[in-house]
Amino acid sequence: MAPVGPRSGDAIFANMERVNAELFTLTYGATVRQLLTDLEEVDEVNKQLDQMGYNIGIRLVDEFLAKSNVSRCVDFKETAEVIAKVGFKMFLGVTASVTNWDADGTCCSIVLEDNPLVDFVELPDTCQGLYYCNILSGVIRGALEMVSNTSSFAQPSIPSFLWDVSLKTEVTWIRDVLRGDDAYELQVKLVKQVPEEYPYKDDE
Amino acid sequence: MIVCVAVVGHQNNPLYIQSFTEADDALKLHHIVHCSLDVVDERVNNPKKSGPTLNETFLGLLYPTENYKVYGYLTNTKVKFIIVATDLDVRDADVRNVDIALLRCNNASCLSPFFRRFHAAYVDAVSNPFHVPGKKITSTTFAERVSTIVKSFGLSSAG
Amino acid sequence: MNRKEITKPFQVEIESKQKQKIEVKMGREVSESCVDSLLTEMVSTYCNRFYANKPELAARRIEAIGYQVGHQLSERYTMERPRFSDHLEAIKFICKDFWSELFKKQIDNLKTNHRGTFVLQDNGFRWLSRISLDPSLENAESQDPSASTESKAAQATSMHLYFPCGIIRGALSNLGIPCAVSADISNLPACSFVVRIKA
Repeated sequence: MAPVGPRSGDAIFANMERVNAELFTLTYGATVRQLLTDLEEVDEVNKQLDQMGYNIGIRLVDEFLAKSNVSRCVDFKETAEVIAKVGFKMFLGVTASVTNWDADGTCCSIVLEDNPLVDFVELPDTCQGLYYCNILSGVIRGALEMVSNTSSFAQPSIPSFLWDVSLKTEVTWIRDVLRGDDAYELQVKLVKQVPEEYPYKDDE
Repeated sequence: MIVCVAVVGHQNNPLYIQSFTEADDALKLHHIVHCSLDVVDERVNNPKKSGPTLNETFLGLLYPTENYKVYGYLTNTKVKFIIVATDLDVRDADVRNVDIALLRCNNASCLSPFFRRFHAAYVDAVSNPFHVPGKKITSTTFAERVSTIVKSFGLSSAG
Repeated sequence: MNRKEITKPFQVEIESKQKQKIEVKMGREVSESCVDSLLTEMVSTYCNRFYANKPELAARRIEAIGYQVGHQLSERYTMERPRFSDHLEAIKFICKDFWSELFKKQIDNLKTNHRGTFVLQDNGFRWLSRISLDPSLENAESQDPSASTESKAAQATSMHLYFPCGIIRGALSNLGIPCAVSADISNLPACSFVVRIKA
């Protein structure tokens, strides 16, 4: 179990400013529908949703670190656990689990039983190639990259070599309820740990 | 027993119509639904006739036919829900005691909760981002929910 | 907003019903940050990535997304209500129940000229105070930072407002009231939405 800090995802979610999920769900749906109209190609929509998610993921990290008291994760495994168990709960109000670790700990699955993005959604036949929730894959990718990055700023007392990596991942859909599966499963594969430059450069 | 359910858009465009009867009288039921739309319009445009229930969504009994009773419901967004029910329940109920008769939903106000459930199912169906307003409802989830609601009505009234 | 057009504005009381249900809906909730980030990103996608040089096209798309949301929300939020008997009643519904569902507060001030124009003022519009405008500013690396950053900021703000304008238009049109909706932010942090009902 990851060192999550003193607060569980549920407790954090209870203290978050919350709104009706309907507004979120319908806004996301209307955005996907508009993207389909404007971009026409389903693949292109998948790409844009992923990009939007990535931008959101890297931006939500500050709030995530501030409110979760997550101070350090030593490796990919812990970071993935924290994002799934604390991150999903505190923002979407749903719990995700992490399973299917491979032997060398560089590949796992994040599984969601339930997900507010898809309330009311039924995919039309014309959109079978659409990964409707693809924004989530981008969010996971962005968040993993930034949690590993920014934790060093949150805890400057920890030797920086522990943090000078950025977790670059590839996220792909394995299961999707909208396509008839029993859950949402995203495979997260660590591509490489990119060495980052020391955050405080000489000329600063 | 509910034999037909219809959802009709604000320009009297059919959004959904489904009959629940063994008999081959779909056409006849469609005709009954069609005729009921005028009754709804008349009701809504003549406040005097509708009296205190002026703006209530549930319109009550629209009109009886020889074999059926037709009930209506009009949302704020001018979507009409029509239910065609058989009259059998009432006659059956006559031979039983009053409590059972009430349980059997033989009066109009008992239908109100059923309309609300239809309405809730409709609202969820049109919340699908891929639903185009004014177009027919093709959602299978909606069809299943309507069918469940109709069956549950059958249960409570068939004793 | 063209103030001349609203001659002799009448203040309209948005009375709170004594028996107004504080609805204890146990519906699903998400964190407000989810909505904020999604809106920020959606606006940024259309303004900076798709139509960087065609703000009027970006505006139309953002408004269309809002319209669909408003159309759907009005269907949901009027579900348990009697039908409205006139335009004013529907507008009051937008000011009270509808706004409360979205922002946990009502519109603070409603004015009308009684000729089809309504001004809905929110003294602290939540999406203006919470939504980060940074993404568009970060990209604004231009020759004249001071002036252009300011105008970029104003443009980014107005782009964000096409979404709530679309929501209001979508909601009212679904209630049988075709209209045009624009936003006025000359009194920040107050924001006024001007609804002009089409004859």
